[in-house]
Formats: sequence, C-alpha cells, structure tokens
Amino acid sequence: MSEDSVTIEVNGTPMQARKGQMLIEVTDANDIYVPRFCYHKKLTVAANCRMCLVEVEKAPKPLPACATPVADGMKVFTRSQLALDAQKSVMEFLLINHPLDCPICDQGGECELQDLAMGYGRDVSRYSEGKRVVKDKNIGPLVQTEMTRCIHCTRCVRFGDEIAGLRELGATGRGEHMEIGTYVEKTMTSELSGNVIDICPVGALTNKPFRYSARTWEMVQRPTIAPHDSVGSNMDLHVKGHTVKRVVPAENEAVNEVWLADRDRYSCEGLQSPDRLQAPMIKQHGEWHEVDWEVALEQVHDRLQAVIDRDGADELAGLAAPWATLEELYLFQKWLRGLGSANIDHRLRQHDFRDDDVAPAFPWLGESLVDLEHVDAALLVGAYPRKEQPLINHRLRKAALGGAAIMAVNPAAYAQNFEFAETCVVAPSQMAQTLAAVAAALVEQGAVAGDALRGLINNVSVDDQHRRLAEALRRADNATVLLGVQAQAHPEFATLRALAGEIATLTGARLGYLGESANSSGAWLAGVLPQRGPLMGTTPGPGLDARAMFEQPRRAYCLFNLEPERDCWNGREVIRALTQADCVVAFSAYDSASLREYADVILPLALYAETAGSYVNVEGRLQSFNGAVAPPGQARPGWKILRVLGNRFDLADFDYDSAEQVRAELADAITSLRPGNHHWQLPGSLPQAAAGSLERVTRMPTNSLDPLVRHAPALQQTVDVADGHAHMHPDTAARLGLAAGAHVRLQNDGGSVELPLALDDSLAPGCVLIHATHPDAIELGGWFGNLEAGGR
Amino acid sequence: MFANVHRIGKSLLLLELLKGLRLTGRNLFKRKVTVQYPEEKTPQSPRFRGLHALRRYPNGEERCIACKLCEAVCPAVAITIESEQRDDGTRRTTQYDIDLTKCIFCGFCEESCPVDSIVETRIYEYHGEERGDLLMTKERLLKIGDLAEPQIAADRAADAAYR
Amino acid sequence: MLEMIRQMLNATVGQIVPAAWQAQTVEVMLIVMQITIILTPLMLCVAYMVYAERKVIGSIQGRIGPNRVGAFGYRLAGLGQPIADALKLILKEIIIPTGSNKFLFVIAPILSMAPAVAAWAVIPFAADTVLADINAGLLYVLALTSLAVYGVIIAGWASNSKYAFLGAMRSAAQIVAYEIAMGFALVGVVVAAGSLNLGQIINAQSGSLLHWYWLPLLPFFVVYFISGVAETNRAPFDVAEGESEIVAGFHVEYSGMAFSLFFLAEYANIILISVLSAVLFLGGWLSPFEGVLPKSAFTLPVIGSVLGGGIHWLLLKTSLFIFVFLWLRATFPRYRYDQIMRLGWKVFIPITLVWLVVIATLAKLQITPWFN
Repeated sequence: MSEDSVTIEVNGTPMQARKGQMLIEVTDANDIYVPRFCYHKKLTVAANCRMCLVEVEKAPKPLPACATPVADGMKVFTRSQLALDAQKSVMEFLLINHPLDCPICDQGGECELQDLAMGYGRDVSRYSEGKRVVKDKNIGPLVQTEMTRCIHCTRCVRFGDEIAGLRELGATGRGEHMEIGTYVEKTMTSELSGNVIDICPVGALTNKPFRYSARTWEMVQRPTIAPHDSVGSNMDLHVKGHTVKRVVPAENEAVNEVWLADRDRYSCEGLQSPDRLQAPMIKQHGEWHEVDWEVALEQVHDRLQAVIDRDGADELAGLAAPWATLEELYLFQKWLRGLGSANIDHRLRQHDFRDDDVAPAFPWLGESLVDLEHVDAALLVGAYPRKEQPLINHRLRKAALGGAAIMAVNPAAYAQNFEFAETCVVAPSQMAQTLAAVAAALVEQGAVAGDALRGLINNVSVDDQHRRLAEALRRADNATVLLGVQAQAHPEFATLRALAGEIATLTGARLGYLGESANSSGAWLAGVLPQRGPLMGTTPGPGLDARAMFEQPRRAYCLFNLEPERDCWNGREVIRALTQADCVVAFSAYDSASLREYADVILPLALYAETAGSYVNVEGRLQSFNGAVAPPGQARPGWKILRVLGNRFDLADFDYDSAEQVRAELADAITSLRPGNHHWQLPGSLPQAAAGSLERVTRMPTNSLDPLVRHAPALQQTVDVADGHAHMHPDTAARLGLAAGAHVRLQNDGGSVELPLALDDSLAPGCVLIHATHPDAIELGGWFGNLEAGGR
Repeated sequence: MFANVHRIGKSLLLLELLKGLRLTGRNLFKRKVTVQYPEEKTPQSPRFRGLHALRRYPNGEERCIACKLCEAVCPAVAITIESEQRDDGTRRTTQYDIDLTKCIFCGFCEESCPVDSIVETRIYEYHGEERGDLLMTKERLLKIGDLAEPQIAADRAADAAYR
Repeated sequence: MLEMIRQMLNATVGQIVPAAWQAQTVEVMLIVMQITIILTPLMLCVAYMVYAERKVIGSIQGRIGPNRVGAFGYRLAGLGQPIADALKLILKEIIIPTGSNKFLFVIAPILSMAPAVAAWAVIPFAADTVLADINAGLLYVLALTSLAVYGVIIAGWASNSKYAFLGAMRSAAQIVAYEIAMGFALVGVVVAAGSLNLGQIINAQSGSLLHWYWLPLLPFFVVYFISGVAETNRAPFDVAEGESEIVAGFHVEYSGMAFSLFFLAEYANIILISVLSAVLFLGGWLSPFEGVLPKSAFTLPVIGSVLGGGIHWLLLKTSLFIFVFLWLRATFPRYRYDQIMRLGWKVFIPITLVWLVVIATLAKLQITPWFN
C-alpha cells in the first residue's frame, strides 16, 4: 500500500482509495451505485442536488458522497435506512416542482430522474400546491429547452464554464425563482453545445432536431465513428427502423472522452436529406435518365474505356474526398491505377504540392491526442482548432488551463474559448515572414541554425512578439508546433511546413498536422496520391495532383463523394475543367443542379452510417465501423460499387466479399506505422507579397465542411456556416470607403463577384475573409490571392 | 394381491369409462345455454374490450400525445406510431395504426394510456372485406371515437371508481 | 313383390333386347335397382348422421348444434345443414398437391369408399331380405372392412406430406392390431352359430332376448364393438386424424369432393359396424319381445307386425349403436398412440383367445339355451 492510499469500508466491504478522492468516485469504481443528479465525473463537484446522501459512521447527519473526501477507516453505508430515508426525502423535494409530463418528454425512458423516481419516489404526492412554471427559452437550432423540468443540478452551467469555455448558460434568481438560461435570449454558439443534452439528467435540455420523433426503447444503438473532423470521435447511432434518428457520444478516454462535437452529433440529419440520390443516372443527349445498376456500370465502362482507348489512360483523373472510408479510398486508387492512370488525389484544399516527395507517410499529429493535454507550449500555424477539430481544441484548452502557453500565427484573431498566450495576426502572405521571424528570434536567443535557414532569416525583421513567442517555445519542455487547415491550404504551404519544422527542431518541439477531415490521414495511407501507392508504396508516376488535374484539364474525371466546385480549392477552375471533359463519373450521395450540369454518369453512394468502413484519425488510430442502416433507394456502399467496377474492367484481385477483406490489406501496416514528421525542404527565398489592394483569406466554416453537413438542416441554421459575406477589418473597409451593410465588388483576373460586407475587427488589416464552399464566391477562384475591391 | 384383482376387475368392467359416459349422458338432457346471437345478445360490461377508438377532448383536440406507451406495452406488436412536433409545438402522432388482425384485445393499450386517448369500445360487430380493411388508421380510429364518444364516456364514468 | 317387378321388367325388356339376353338383362337391372334401394337411404343416413352427430355432441356440451339452415324460409331445426354441406363440398375445387402421386391420390378416396358400400351386399335387413345371400357372408364382410384401410394408407402416402404420412402409418399399425381381435370375436360368433351366413347367424339367435349372442359372447361383443370404433378411426381412437398433433392426418391434403368421400366412407363404416353389431350380437331383425309375449300377440293385426321381428328392429338396434359411437366421441379424449397399441395387443387379443376357448368348450358340451 502506497503512501497516499487509504482503506475505507462501504456496506461492509473494504475498499482501496486514493487520498483526496471523493466517496462517489470510490463507489463508482467498485460498482456500487449511489444515486446522483449534479455529480458528473468530468465536471467539478457542486453538491447541490443532495441526492447522493449516504450514511457515514460517526457523522451526525448523512453526507453527500460526491463532496465527501475519503478518510482512512471510514465506514460508509449507501443503502442503510438513514441513507435511504435521506434520498427519498430529497427525491420528494425534487419532485415538488418537476412536471408530470413524462409522456410527452423526450427524455422519458432514458431519464435519470424518472429512473430514480421509480426507486426512491413515493406513489402519491403529498404536495397539493401549484407547481412552478418556467418560461421556455430559445437557445438555438440544436438544443431544445423545457425549463419547467429543470431540477437545477447546474451540470449544464458547469459544462459551459469548464468544458465549452463559454459561459452561455447560467442560473438567475434564487430558491423557487431560480432559472437556468442565457439571461439575454441568445443562441448557444459553442461547437460542443450538444453535450448539454447528454449531461442533463432530466428532459430540460433535449435534442431539437430529434424532438418527439422516437422513443429510446424503439431505437437500436449501433457504434460508429464520427465522419467529420480528424479526431475520429467514437459515437453511437440510434436507429429506428431504417433511419438514424440521432447520435450520441460513446465513451473513449483516448479519443473523445465523453464529448462529441455538434457537427458529428447533428450531421446524421443529412442522411435523410431529400437531395439523396436514389438511383443511378446517366446523361444521354443532355437528358438525365434513371437506370439500373447494370446499365449504369456498363455506361461507366464504355465511356471511360472510350476515353482511354482514344486518348490514353493519362487523360483520366480521379479525385476522392478525404471523408470517404479507408476501404473506398483504397479501392478507388486501386481501380484507377488498374486502369493505368496515376492522376489520383484527395487533397481537395491544398494548393502547394512542391514538397510531395519529402512528405511524411501521412500527415499526423506527431503525438497522441492525450499528449496534447500535457504540452507546455503549442504554436498553431494557420489553425482554428476550436471550430475545425473541437475536441483537439478541448485538449489544448485543458493544457492552457494547466498553464501551457498556446500561441497562434493566424490571419485573424479568431474567437477562442481560452486565453492564448500570443496571437500573431498577419495577412496570409506574411505568414512565412512571421515564422521566419520567430526562427530568427530563436537564433537570436542562442539556437543554432543550419546554413539554409540562416540564409533565409537574414533579412527578416524581428519584433518583441516574435521574441516572446520564441522564448515560450524554447522554455517549454514539452512543446508542439501544429499546422492547421489554413496552413495546409496556403499557397506557400511547403514553405510554412519547412519553417514550422525548423522552429520545431530549434526548440525541440514536435511538428504535427491538424487534419481537416475524418480520413485526411487514411487517404494518404490508402494511396490516394499521385506520387505514392498505398502504405508508401512506389507506383509509376507521379501523376497529376489535385491542382494540376484541373489546371491541365483531362478528358475524363472520376469524382468520389464530393461536390467539387464547393469542396475544392479553386471551384472556378474545377467547373471549367469538368465542363469541357468528355466523361465525368460522379460517385455522389447528393443530387445537385451543378452536378447534373457537368457529370455524365451519377452513381448513388451510401454514406457513413450506411456502409462498413474505417477512418484513420489524426493520431493514426484505425477505427472501423459497420453499417447501421440500409442506404436509401438503390444507393450502394462505395466499396461494393468499386469492387464491381474493378471486375467489369477485368482488373486482377478485385474479388472482395466484405469491407473487412479490403481493410485486411491495410490494417496491420497502419496500426504499426508512425511516421516521423521531420522531412522538409527549405526554399531558397521567402515568398514576397505581391502588391495588391486586398488579400483574400478563406476559412472553412465548421458546418460547411462536407456534403453531409451541408445537407443537415439544423446545422445549417447555426452561425458556423458559410455566409457569403466579405468580412473585413473596419479599418480596411474604411480605407476602401465602404460602410457596414454595403455591397463590395471583388474581382481578380478570373472573375468578379459582389458580396455584402461584414465588419470583423479580428481580421488582419488588408484582408478580406470569404468563407469557403459558398456558391456566391466560387467565381473568385482560389482560396488565397490578391483581389481588387470596389463599391457597387 | 387383492388390490391387483380389484384393479384389473375394475378396468375390465370399464367402470370408469361408464362413469364418464354417465356424466356426458346426463348432460345430454340439460338445458342448453346457447344464445341465438343476432336475435339475442349477451349483456356487456362497461369494461368490454371491443373495437378500438381514439378519443378527443370536448374542444375537439385529439387526446393522443404520442407518448408511445401503448406501442411499447402491446404484447402483439399491433400498434405502430410515428410522431413529430406539430406546428404549434405540441407532441402529436403522424401515424397511429392498429392492426386488428394482430390485436389480441388484451386492453393493455387502454390501461397504459396516460390521457385516456386509446380506448376499446363495446363495438364488436365489424368486418373487413379487403386486405387492409382491418388496419385501423388514425383517421378511422378518431372517427370511431367521435361516433361512440357518449358510450365511451359513460363507460369510463361507470368504471371510474375502480381505475 | 320382387317377382312382380321381375314380370314387369320381363314384359318391357322383352320388346327391346333380343330374347337370348333377356334373362341376364333383367337380372342385372333388378340387382341395380336393389343396390339403389339400399344405397340411397344409406347415403341419406350418412348425411343425416353428420347432422345427428353435431346435434348430439352439441347437446352433450350444452349447445344446440346446427339450427339455422332450413328450406323455404323455415329453419326446420337446421335440417338443411347436411344438404348445404354437401353442396359446398361438391362445388369446392379438388386441389392435387404438386409433389403427390396423382393416380394414387385420386384413387385413394374411392378405395376408401368402395368397401364401405360393398359390404352392404350381404347384410340381411329382414328375414330373406338380402341382396346376396351367400354362405361366406361373414368372411366377405371381414375381407371388405379390412380393405378400407388401404384407402387411408394410400391417401397418406400419395399426398407427399409428412402429416398425411404419419396418419397413414398410425392407421396401418392400428388396423393390424385391432383386425386380429375383431377376427377372433367373429370366430366366436361363427363357433356359436355354426355358420358364416349372416341370415343363419341371426336365426341361430332366435328364442328370446337372452338367446341373443350379447350375453354368452359378452366379451366378444365388447371387444368387437370397441375394435369397430378403432377400425373406423373414430374417437377415442382417431390418432390417424389427430387434429392436435398431425393436423388432419391422412386426408390433410384433400379438399372438395375427394375429402368428402373420405368423410362419407367414415360414416358409412360407422353405420356398417353398427349394423353388424346388431346382426351378430343383438339378433338383427329379431324382436326383443319374442319369447316374452305369448305367440298369439304376434298374430294381431298391425300391433303384431310391430311387435314381431322385422327391419324396424334392426334399424332401432343400429341407431342405438350409432348413438353410442357419438356418445363415445363426446365423452373420451383421444388415446395416446402407445395406449392404443397396448389395448389392442395386450388386452383384446388375450381376452378373445381365452373366451374363444370357453365358447368352444360350451359349444362342444352343447350348453343350452345357446348351443344346442
């Protein structure tokens, strides 16, 4: 027995406990259930519900198990008459004001209060006075309130404080008049807001899109993996009949703890979108016809074979989305490589492919998710994890609350839910300069730089902020440099990567990447790359990357699970290339007007809950899942479609019977592969900003990430969607002579658009932020670059 | 020894069989209890469990709140309910089907209903001629409720003391 | 009367048929007429026996039984029911299962019906009133009643259904078991009467109520009747049908008229067994008042012919047995299969064997009043 261990006795059974642990933690660990409402293992102890009262020997009154620290030799009775009487009395008080509306309450059947009322409640109420009624609040499109049911456990308030980092909900009033709410009626903006539904022990906070549509006992729970951010949160689908009714988090301490981002929770609505494709379609003489699979696959074969026979396989290009499953991606590249084409890519939002040769096996975090909690300093480059990978941000926030210095080099001072030690707000064109300046500051402070780096940092000017940043990184024992989504989309990504790598080397920090999508890492391993086969295998090539295949238009394209004009870096060029192509085969889950415009064959695709598959998350964790519902209509899982296509083209080794068989070809290698992130090429010189009046910045809004989210109605009503505005710093707007609410005409050499102006003082001066994926901005082309602005 | 002889004798003389025959023979002449159905009918209890109905409140609002307790309790899985939020924010069914060919008329649905919405009426003379005739939809159940409401209400009142 | 008809026929047939064929033609026509005269009431009896069965069993169970189907707007206590049933069955389709042996499937009900009807040829309805007054009448009856089981076995096999097959198997085993006991019981009658001719067997019983064979051959009488119930597959020996175990046994695949043939055969068999019981053990057409009332009573007009022997006594005795058939069905639950086998092999055969020795001894010693 170690020093800090004590022995207590619960219901006559001796138990070991750590000093300082609360009683309820010990009983929970030993499977002794003590009823509770306000206690939650991930939140601080409030001890305000009093439900967990237990008898402790020599204590004159029952004590709350959640707030009583263990002491050596303590004797506890959780089911003694005193404890039961206390719990029953508390229950009676709690039920005084709780309405008897279980039949219409969505929590019915999974309600902690209901369950405990069965165990501790009286049959007949002694309370004949009127019950209190609390006016309902509207706190946004995701969470439904029914505040009359609230029992004031304050779990949601503590969640906002301690986990979400935003005090959005609070308690006002006292006693009978206490109410939980937002005080001023407003929408919850936290990207983790859905978790209050899970922690609410009663039906006060429930799932709004799910409201009234099913009962817990009607649904079957099927485990799956979150399909959006690169965390790979574990979650459970609740399925009724053939529809996914809702999603709840599954506990996995190493990945998502007990939380789930809103995007993962609510995107299941998109599975039932009316836009879902029901049957294969082919275009003949400009007319679309629904056909059966036989005909559709025959058409794919004939049309692609015609292009290959006439122009060669090099005229065929394939683009797959990084949110497709590992199996789909692997078969996609296997099929295309079988046809003889190496023009395969999944990096829809990357523009700079200069250093493909020295890229790691797959871009990964460089550490585990849990490690992020323990960093002392972190430098985020072009990253906004709060909205892009909310649960990675949660780990960083925990580190920051523990004293770590989290710093950022971003084109905007994004709204964060914790204090950043330093934030360099610079225009995108200045990001490389800034990183070079940090490196220079490190050298100033005594770090030893190589020749190549010294050549680069000669002329950069270093200011105090760079020095503070460098110092914090240098001082930290456990530091990390993370390249975010905006960095990866940056036109000088190779330079940013090299400089970030140099900074990491100089400070002994780890270099990591924050992947954007569920399978951003898996796609690399599956070999959906022009320069590499699966598992870093060598292939004939290199083929054309995601940028080149549109800049040098091909005759035939295969698109897998994406809406190319919205999902790619340069939508304008994509449309141009696709429109001129002879044959575009689209594997797509959703119908759209633009798809019908350029596609020739559309194959309806099953989405994540409808197919078996795997995702590889940003730390290289391979997680597999099975389909939970049947795809709509004739839609089929991608791996099945690709398998049949492989057979139709008479390719070897395409006889798979299950997704597991496909996975088996990769899985072992993936679980053992942990690449070093230490290869990069420093450029000869730093990029110089081209002169221009305005610099475009693009950010991917949380809830516009992929087709599935874009088809989830509730998420589209939140603030985190592409809004089609031109966001500018007020000074920039003033310089251009624009007032709030005005429309601004933006143009570059390819096109021009007119967007309403929105003022945002977090942006770097001289920049205009336009959200990605918004159809109004497609005409502007690439995500970054110079724009000319004018009034209307 | 004697017991064996007695047993075999009894068995050979078929005494027990004759006893049985005597019993049935006597019943041959007893008064018959048959009710001549269409002309005569047996009396019904207020708790009679016949055709189902969905009730309304006096103001015309349907009672059912889609709590789905009847669906959950139904031992024959004869009830199918789909629910959603109606425009006025209340919880309502969009579909409420009772498959009478599955129903065993146990009355659990009635028992479990927190708002006395689903009830079993005294109606037992109905039939279906086509497939689907005995699948009672929400509309049909509500109509039955509207037609039989006076009787339903009277029956509930008569039984109120025991519920 | 027969002679009168024969002369009338001779007169008419003589004008149509060549003289050489005249005698044979008239004979055939006469026989056909006699058959018709026997079968028509028999079939009516069968139909109304179903009605009677439903009424009796209903009554025993406290119900009324069929009482709706009448004619011309009158209910007539449901007397129209058998007609309605018959019409329904005739109009129904005969479904022949795909996997069945079609020829045997069709022939089985006929095989079942034919012996039940043919056996009536040797039944004496009154003194000298019999279609075929043959010496080996009893043997003929025994042979024909044994044939009936072929219908059941073939039906069960031809249906290609496991239930039908199980029913057939059970039926075969059961018939074998009870045929032997039944045969022994009849041997007892033959020993007592000294003849195989049914008319002579009846005559041998004349004297009085106590001269009838039910008394000296009481064990045979009981065994014969119970075996008869078993032979006809009636409750409580209806394991070949066994609704609760094998749905409907051998005729599960039959419908319409094919099914109703089995049905008719079963009831015709019941009546046959009842008639035979009356003939063999209750003195057939003999009057129970014989030997009780003074001889002069039988010479009275009308009353004399009622009290004296005649077909009405045979019908009465037969009805009694038929009623017992129904009564048994309403009273006893079905025997378990092994119990049936035990009863047949281990009880009936030993009893009949023992009693055969007793009877043979009595006959040898010419014990009066039965064996003289």
